Amino acid sequence: MNVANGEISREIGDVNLAYMLLAQKLVKQDRVAAMFRLGISSELADMLAGMSLAQILKLAASNFLLCSFRLNEHASMSAVVGEGKDTTLQQAHMAILMSARTLQMQKNTVPA
Amino acid sequence: MTRKTVLGEVREVQLAIELIGLGARLQFLEAEVGLSRERLIRLYKEIKGVSPPKGLLPFSTDWYMTWLANIHSSMFYNIYQFMKIHSDEEKVWILIKSYKLYLQQIAAQDSEPILDFTRAYTMVRFFDSDMLQLSTCSRCAGQFVAHAHDHKSGYVCVLCRPPSRAGKARGAKRGAVAGIAGDGMVFGVEPALEGGLH
Repeated sequence: MNVANGEISREIGDVNLAYMLLAQKLVKQDRVAAMFRLGISSELADMLAGMSLAQILKLAASNFLLCSFRLNEHASMSAVVGEGKDTTLQQAHMAILMSARTLQMQKNTVPA
Repeated sequence: MTRKTVLGEVREVQLAIELIGLGARLQFLEAEVGLSRERLIRLYKEIKGVSPPKGLLPFSTDWYMTWLANIHSSMFYNIYQFMKIHSDEEKVWILIKSYKLYLQQIAAQDSEPILDFTRAYTMVRFFDSDMLQLSTCSRCAGQFVAHAHDHKSGYVCVLCRPPSRAGKARGAKRGAVAGIAGDGMVFGVEPALEGGLH
């Protein structure tokens, strides 16, 4: 039980680290494009760009996954996955939903 | 009126090179780049090896409504809208950047771009002049390119409700696309499309 838990924590840590490093690389390459791909705000993008490796390692070593599902509604998810759609169309559908999704999140957070 | 500086001119040339590389038409270059027509034509010939194509720009919104074109248009416009809100660059660079992201997206999907640069630019203008709008699909909540003033309620997108013949035969579909879009308009565009037609 404990061994299995340790294993899971390590795997989560690995995913977190890979995710954070990739995210930072994207932001450093092209800030706006990275915001688009990752679905993050400009503040978060700037913060990511400025993080040191030590900070990233510390944040990554967690029991919680840092990245989350972005198709976070059942309706959208099943629309994309459903009915044996071919890969190209599925990707296209995803691209359309994703770009609007980040915008919707921005819209919700901006006036607050 | 901006003063002519050497650096300013270099920037204009860079912009022109970028745009020609993406397949921009001469009319668009003349509108967006502060270089003389002669210089633009010369640049175009040097980069492409051929004279710029003649003929009018596409002016029908119907093209964007056909099945595959609508998918690609919606993909591009969603990207463009994101860039417009979050990027502080000039409008023409936002257009370039979004179009490149669209091309990357298509490359990642292993398919061919259906929306050429001229169509993309024309679409942005259609949106600006309130001839097109984004409608939200009632099933997947995605935003899709639609005619302006179409009633929005109960709208279902082309991906959630594909037409019965969609995607069956590429060649046949392209023919159909041209059949609708070519209605009463000059069609001097897209080598890719023309390749599919003849």
